[in-house]
Amino acid sequence: MNYAEYQDFSAVVAKRHVVFYYFGYFSQNIVSAMAEAVRLHLEKAEPVASTRRKIFSCFVEMAQNITHYSASALTAAEQRESQLRQGSVCIGMENDHYYLLCANPVAAENVEALREKLEPLRTMTLDDIKRAYREMLRAESPDGSKGAGLGFLTVARDASGPLEFEFVPGATPDTVTFYVKATI
Amino acid sequence: MSTETSDDLLIAASSSSPEVDFRFGARTLSLKGESYPENAAAFYGDIITRTRAWLGTLGAHDGVTVDIALTYFNSSSTKMLFGLFDALNEAAEGGIKIVLNWRHDVDDDTIQEFGAELHDEFPALDFHDIAIDG
Repeated sequence: MNYAEYQDFSAVVAKRHVVFYYFGYFSQNIVSAMAEAVRLHLEKAEPVASTRRKIFSCFVEMAQNITHYSASALTAAEQRESQLRQGSVCIGMENDHYYLLCANPVAAENVEALREKLEPLRTMTLDDIKRAYREMLRAESPDGSKGAGLGFLTVARDASGPLEFEFVPGATPDTVTFYVKATI
Repeated sequence: MSTETSDDLLIAASSSSPEVDFRFGARTLSLKGESYPENAAAFYGDIITRTRAWLGTLGAHDGVTVDIALTYFNSSSTKMLFGLFDALNEAAEGGIKIVLNWRHDVDDDTIQEFGAELHDEFPALDFHDIAIDG
């Protein structure tokens, strides 16, 4: 990429109102450094404290999801500390709303389970989401979860509309790229 | 004058984990800062185990003050905090007086609502919602 191309690239970023984008490996340290960058931007750019908090919360949940679950991993599946996994995350603005988008590869065999977890959230009201959150808080953590099973419910709670998600065939037949979009 | 004893549980804050200042000798427990460690179950698991063991040694006349001033906690920390308050509530049901000061920014609805949830779920705790302006 020469300077002129870089200028074009930067112009597209500005035109799309992309305020943050990262593609690469996610670790806890990287997530925490990115969180600091996101917070600094929001403190300058977003006057409403509750909007800043919701964006920050969604960002951390999405980024830690990649650290914990992306199928493109440099660390062993059973490892719970110092994990490294690949994905991407983006924060932008459209129609006067912030959105967060994230993507990572998942094993094709996990797609249906993810779909079953996410699809019901799309038709739930905020009260339904809060009720489900309270139930999950009191329940045993689900099998295969490295957290509390509350991550997507937290993102759904912070979003102003239904979560959007998509599965797109990946580089190999046994992986699928998983996208989630939350509009704040 | 320092009230620290060797049995206290003190962990300095990191960029993604809170300051833990559990002075068992003084019967004051405090969490302050942000909480989104990589492995919240590991981070809080030990804290909950040690707190439970200590609560078991208290007599009914021993009052405990718990000060929580967390400005952000992620979903897995939320779950573990719930477990910590469950342990405290059990001790309070057993007759120990436990004050829970729940500090949050005045306009932080999420943290205020979680506090209200704790208040409902754990009625044996003497819950104080403390909204801080600014």
